[in-house]
Amino acid sequence: MNPNNKFWWFVAISVSITLIIIASLAVLFWQQLPPEEKSLLLSIIKQNFLYIFSAAFLILAGLGFALDGIFHVYIIPTSKLVEETTLITSVNPSHRITIEGSSNIMRLARIINEGADRYEELQKNVEQRIDLAKAKAEEEKNILAAFMSELPEGVLICNAECRILFYSKQVKYMLMGADNVIPDSESGSDIASFGAGESFIGLGRSIFNIIDKNLVVHALDEIAEKLEHKEADISSNFVVVGKGNKLLRAEAVPILSHLRKFTGFIIIFTDITQQTEADRIVNFMLQSFTKSIRSSLAGIRSSIEAIIEYPDMESAQLQKFREIIHHQCITLGCVLDNISSDYSSHFITQWPLVPILAQNLVESIRSKAEEKLDIIIDMEYSDDQNRVKVDSYSIILGMLCVLNQLRNETANRKFTCNFERKGIFVNFDFIWHGNPIKIETLRKWDHQILILKNEELPLSLKAVLQYHEAEMWSNVCEGERDKSYLRLILPAIETYESEKIRRITILPESRPEFYDFDMFSQPGQIPELDNRPLNELAFTVFDTETTGLDPRGGDKIISVGSIRIVNGRLLHDERFDQFVDPERSLPFESIKIHGIQPEMLKGQPTIDKVLPFFQQFAEDTVLVAHNAAFDMRMLQINEAETGVKFINPVLDTLLLSAVVHPAQQDHNLEALAERLGVSIVGRHTALGDAIATGEIFIKLIPLLAKMGVYTLKDARIASQKTYYSRIKY
Amino acid sequence: MPQTILIVDDEQSIVVPLRFLMEQNGYKVITASSGEEAVDKISKFQPDLILLDIIHPGLDGFEICQIVREKPEWKDTRIIFVSTMVRDADVAKGLAFGADAYITKPFSNSQIMQQVKELLKG
Repeated sequence: MNPNNKFWWFVAISVSITLIIIASLAVLFWQQLPPEEKSLLLSIIKQNFLYIFSAAFLILAGLGFALDGIFHVYIIPTSKLVEETTLITSVNPSHRITIEGSSNIMRLARIINEGADRYEELQKNVEQRIDLAKAKAEEEKNILAAFMSELPEGVLICNAECRILFYSKQVKYMLMGADNVIPDSESGSDIASFGAGESFIGLGRSIFNIIDKNLVVHALDEIAEKLEHKEADISSNFVVVGKGNKLLRAEAVPILSHLRKFTGFIIIFTDITQQTEADRIVNFMLQSFTKSIRSSLAGIRSSIEAIIEYPDMESAQLQKFREIIHHQCITLGCVLDNISSDYSSHFITQWPLVPILAQNLVESIRSKAEEKLDIIIDMEYSDDQNRVKVDSYSIILGMLCVLNQLRNETANRKFTCNFERKGIFVNFDFIWHGNPIKIETLRKWDHQILILKNEELPLSLKAVLQYHEAEMWSNVCEGERDKSYLRLILPAIETYESEKIRRITILPESRPEFYDFDMFSQPGQIPELDNRPLNELAFTVFDTETTGLDPRGGDKIISVGSIRIVNGRLLHDERFDQFVDPERSLPFESIKIHGIQPEMLKGQPTIDKVLPFFQQFAEDTVLVAHNAAFDMRMLQINEAETGVKFINPVLDTLLLSAVVHPAQQDHNLEALAERLGVSIVGRHTALGDAIATGEIFIKLIPLLAKMGVYTLKDARIASQKTYYSRIKY
Repeated sequence: MPQTILIVDDEQSIVVPLRFLMEQNGYKVITASSGEEAVDKISKFQPDLILLDIIHPGLDGFEICQIVREKPEWKDTRIIFVSTMVRDADVAKGLAFGADAYITKPFSNSQIMQQVKELLKG
């Protein structure tokens, strides 16, 4: 209850009790008097009523002032003292008591503050030691998490209730596409990135949001059966179609407790799209070639057998058979050529081209040429930062074959090599004294298979060059007519193009937020939300920025920011941050507060597109907001237009603050953040406020527990009792 | 009256030796290089046996086989598939359509003659 209300209740009750006692004494006194004394007393009262009334009034007023003094000097400071001391000992050891009251209470506050200083220092020491002790274990966890994130396979771990405990980046990529699944208005994502049918992947969310329930259930049934029969292979395989029609092989493996009880499962996803396509092509080629060969062989065999069997056949008939055999032999040759070239081109498409520094490529060619061919190459460096994308084995072998031919053709065993960036290519020039190589000669080299001593690649130089989008020619050096060059050009790549280079894994300071193994024992079924402890629930903390403060008067949402809390941790990787086109003007007063300019909202999706997506984001969670009545009203006002109704349970940090700190006057976001030691980054941006609210909410949970508020139901009942719950928008 | 054999194949390198072989063994030979031509010649000449390739222009071998087997008046016509399709599944399918035999390419002349004679001896 508000302290002022408490005071007036206290005054009213005290005065009433005093009046009742006085009145009772007066009645008793009156009844003892004989009639003549009663009439004498009445006449005295009538004569001196003014004095008696004034005396009574002064006594009561004095009593009131005394009570007010006692209340403000002793009682209110004492309750603040209790609240603020609890704050220091629970969530914010840096908080210090600043209250006005009696000298004894002020002294007590100073003593508590001094104690808090020592407590904080002690706690810091303890935390430091704990941090040190944790560091090693944490590092190992991070290595594991980072390793799993960098695996080419996607890894997803669920508990027995099919809720996600861990997912690697690859799973998100394979199933949901690129990182823009969660729209990021700052990066200018467009509404197309969250069209209908999209679902979210996230800790604590159901796996059924992202994979067909039937597939998972079938796999789990199969695993259960295998476990029952104690089979050696207890995994179950199925195929799912991921984002962009990726074909994913999923292997589900159970996680068992030491008692062999099923506690969860791991699904490993492998992208088999390319493999399947490759298999299909090879299969098709094989079938097609086999048919052609069989057909030709049939003609040849049948003709030869006829010739042998009928040696006296007419010469015209014999000639026919000879022609058939000749023709079919040529056909067979063509088929074999096709096999070779088709297979080569198919084989070649399997090569990954890897970025490499031009200098490193030349250095490799130089050292191998010297070692294998006894050819000396003098390097002339130019810009050593250029990169090209190559399959280094084939391109180096190709160049060695060319250098071998070059030596034979020019009778030189010394060449100068320089390389430099020219437009979109990097030119590699091998220079010698003498004439250039003729085009016809180069054409011959182009078609030769790459063979060098014991190394062989069943491909022509031309095929290798084509795959690299490279070209090669020879000409006279400009300005030095006695010299010629053989030039290889390879497309240059910009540094930022090297998207497929594996990044060095830098261990994060704290473990990645999508990594959490503490949820195995989580019960997690929606109908029981009300009775579940707050620290076991999943929350979606959100905030809206609006054109104004009057939802009924036509003010609209212009930004929605949100972040999830799972197992008492804020998941910074699972955010929702979206500007909304309000389809109306933006009042200058509101711009002053949130800083969102009208041009920032141009081209952004309208509320009917954003709310369905936000609803999906918040699915199966409890909504949390500061002053939630306002934000919920803003959402509700769009119900008719969007058809989206938020039926999630709601908690309000403003009300919860009033529950834990009834003696405090201020429950706005800044005051609350300061009290709980939370710093707000990006005040009055939807996401910034949502994150601050989330941090505040996490700190409120233990304070609520100290007051006996453990479950969602407890929190809601306690909220309803507070004064602020009467505010309506 | 010699028995009539229809060879259905679009590859002359197959048709020529087969025709020679059959003629040397006393059979009358007619040929077709497409599905439609084959059906046309079957109804015109009512051959005793068809050497039927599967892949060729127009109706494929399976379809021709099906058409022949659906007509009661052609029920005595023997059919041998002669094909480059060699999977067990292809053989099973060919026989399921009512073919009397299935020979894969390349075949030996003696093998095919033996099969033809066996089917036509009745």
